Amino acid sequence: MAHLLLLLVLVIAAAPAGAAETAPAAVQAFDTPNDQGHSITLTWRRREVLPDSARYRIGVSERAEGPFHHVAELDPKTTPTMADEPATFGSDDDNRNRHFALIESYRDSEGQDRIRIENGKAYFIRIGIHGGGYTVVEARARGNYFNSTKTGNFALAGLFSVLILVYIRLARRKNLYIRRLAGLDALDEALGRATEMGKPVLFVHGLQDMGSPSTIAAVNILGQVAKRTAEYDTQLRVGNRDPIVMSVSQEVVKESCIEAGRPDAFNPDNVFLAAADQFSYAAALEGLMVREKPATNLLMGYFYAESLLLAETGATTGAIQIAATDAYTQLPFFITTCDYTLMGEELYAASAYLSRDPKLLGSLKGQDLGKGIIILMLVLGSILAGFGFWPLLS
Amino acid sequence: MIERLLNIDRRIVYLAVFFAVCIPLLIGFELPIKATPNVRAVYDSIESLSGNPDAVVLISFDYGPSSQPELQPMALAILRHCFSRNIRVVGVTLITEAVGLAMQAFETAGEEYGRVNGTDYAFLGFKAGGPILILNMGQDLHGAFPEDIRGVATSEMPITRNLRSLKDFDYVIDLAAGFPGVDEWIAYGQERYRFPLGAGCTAVMAPDFFPFLQSRQLDGLIGGLAGAAEYEALVGKRGMAVSGMRPQSVAHMVIIGFILLGNVVYFLHRSAVRKGPAA
Amino acid sequence: MYFLQRTLPLLVAFVAGVIGIFTYYVPVAQPVEITTSTWYRIIAAFALFLGIHSLLQMHWRRIRRNQAGWAFSAVVYIGFIVTIALAVYNNGKGPLQPLAPGDGLDLNWMYTHVHVAGGATMFSLLAFFIASAAYRTFRARSAEAVVLLVAALLVMLGRVPIGALISEHLPEVSQWLMATPNLAARRGILLGVSLGAIATALRIIFGIERSYLGEEGQ
Repeated sequence: MAHLLLLLVLVIAAAPAGAAETAPAAVQAFDTPNDQGHSITLTWRRREVLPDSARYRIGVSERAEGPFHHVAELDPKTTPTMADEPATFGSDDDNRNRHFALIESYRDSEGQDRIRIENGKAYFIRIGIHGGGYTVVEARARGNYFNSTKTGNFALAGLFSVLILVYIRLARRKNLYIRRLAGLDALDEALGRATEMGKPVLFVHGLQDMGSPSTIAAVNILGQVAKRTAEYDTQLRVGNRDPIVMSVSQEVVKESCIEAGRPDAFNPDNVFLAAADQFSYAAALEGLMVREKPATNLLMGYFYAESLLLAETGATTGAIQIAATDAYTQLPFFITTCDYTLMGEELYAASAYLSRDPKLLGSLKGQDLGKGIIILMLVLGSILAGFGFWPLLS
Repeated sequence: MIERLLNIDRRIVYLAVFFAVCIPLLIGFELPIKATPNVRAVYDSIESLSGNPDAVVLISFDYGPSSQPELQPMALAILRHCFSRNIRVVGVTLITEAVGLAMQAFETAGEEYGRVNGTDYAFLGFKAGGPILILNMGQDLHGAFPEDIRGVATSEMPITRNLRSLKDFDYVIDLAAGFPGVDEWIAYGQERYRFPLGAGCTAVMAPDFFPFLQSRQLDGLIGGLAGAAEYEALVGKRGMAVSGMRPQSVAHMVIIGFILLGNVVYFLHRSAVRKGPAA
Repeated sequence: MYFLQRTLPLLVAFVAGVIGIFTYYVPVAQPVEITTSTWYRIIAAFALFLGIHSLLQMHWRRIRRNQAGWAFSAVVYIGFIVTIALAVYNNGKGPLQPLAPGDGLDLNWMYTHVHVAGGATMFSLLAFFIASAAYRTFRARSAEAVVLLVAALLVMLGRVPIGALISEHLPEVSQWLMATPNLAARRGILLGVSLGAIATALRIIFGIERSYLGEEGQ
């Protein structure tokens, strides 16, 4: 056996000179899947042994006979194999033995500008090894109607969406249970304290814009808080960093005041833009905390490094502080400096919890079931991986 | 005494931290700096592009003046690395406050290595839209940034003329301290347009991105001033980050000292309270 | 009025949400995304005017009413006017021109010597606040707290060069803590948060959640 292996090594070692002179084998070119077009994928068999100086040269032409325009020169050692892109090429064992390259443009005749590959046009692609032979193949690029690499994503997103919508429907008929969230139970007490002390309540959204689910969840909570402060006749100050979030917050507070039967309680100056820069924003709100000493600080949304500046300043002014964030790295700061902290998706559950609207509670149930499915898949996957059932997993 | 220690005046803690930072800045001493695998991964990705005359790296400067002590040394170290290997660099920013810092970084590193604006590097400046701008850059780079910061058309500059999308960059690095930042570059950029992405962030944000390293959506991560110092050490040009390791090390030790003191006082207080009723 | 304040925003939310989902899965539809994202960027840029208006109006009222801290509001006005004036002057090149370099008091000077210095000062406060918060709250009150405390100390030591001087294994331990237990916790929260985000997005797309319009769920 050892002699056989030695012989094999010798045969491979003797191969380079001959191998460098032959063209790449099993060359295929086809439209790059899962894109909007303007790209052709070229694949070819990987050579086990090539000299260090060997390079794959790729050229493109609109005619079979050329001239071929330069696309790329690739080092065989660093050229990816199809196994590097399992989402596109699957997990066939043979993928390790096949290189691939994406062709999206080629250099013009002067070698200056790059010309983009056009959809529907026939291109002839030539691949060769520097100093050796070459192979020419034909392909056309086109736009695709579905991104198959996202099939799993689509299926799971579809499943979760259906679950959530089904539970929202079910919630109309059933009374759904939701576990206690101490931070939100304490909200009434915190707002009541501000009323008793005759001091304002400060609401802070965090840094993200209106496109972020965290900000949307925070604005949803703001609606509930504004209604209660209007009922209690307590001043609510809302410090914003983003102008769009500020406009939405003004509208939310105004509507909540109207709904609470206190339209006069709305003062647009109380929902203001503190500053657009992260730390200017933190400084402006800290100044407000120190000067006006709000009795309650509500820090809800997505926070970054300003979280500790805000919460620690709030703690020094003696305010009751309730934080809610899905910013994982800021949780330790809120936990150490705030009276109550809602963690992760509790932020999203808060508006449902406060309003007790059955449809919102229903969506929470759907969410929980989705989480159960993910946990089940993780456990199952871990067991299969642990027992070495890789083919089944892939 | 224990009560007083338990409720120690914050200003005493602040004063101790102040001296822990100031004294090591005044007294010079050397500390060994060894690169962690995540920092080395960013270095290796850029290193692999050396020798490729067409290679272009994109750096997104998504940090403001507030976090520049941590991120500006990182930006300079990366630029020096690229320029020393003849790799061209394009810069953009998703936040207004970063424009001045990015320009300073390009000017400093560009002058050191004699690089030419428009040929060896380009700074395209700021455009509104945050994460949406990343999508626009992925679809049409010249459309998203028709001109660079000096007003020169990106479709005519030698460095950007052939760059039509984020996919055309050989490596993308996001240096971020908040929103929009690394999360957005992964969701709106890397996930959609499939380019190799590395990141640099403040130390406090670094734990957030470890899942993306394992899923290979990020191929490397430089975290905080310590990460910047590791990168400076790898490049072989020690700067602000390496010298910042002295005060940071001592400040860490002081904070650890306070945590330990706090616990000793806590246990003394607890045992005193337990003994109290019995007595 | 009801159409403008309720029906239209809900319709816009529905259409924008559906376009977002559609273009994510359908590659040929991505040009639609370019158009909608360009619209969004234009709207976002205009929203800055709303912000400036709110900021100046609020501080003007403070100055006029001599409210506590009105002098800070005056600083906002001075900073705003000086910065705008320098940007418009642009070292003699005028507005709407690329930023002109200069050596004296110009926009670059304001940026470097006011904005950068002020921002760095604010960021440096974190070190003081972290030390104070750690001293007051980082106590070994329970077994879980002990685990957290030990992990925190190891990471703090392992992340700075002095840790390697104490023990060469500290950086490796710190790296393991970050890359394994930290990653597991982060991933757990990430999965929960992502599902929460999907649920919130669906509630908004289908008009179930309307609190952002200042209305209870319908």
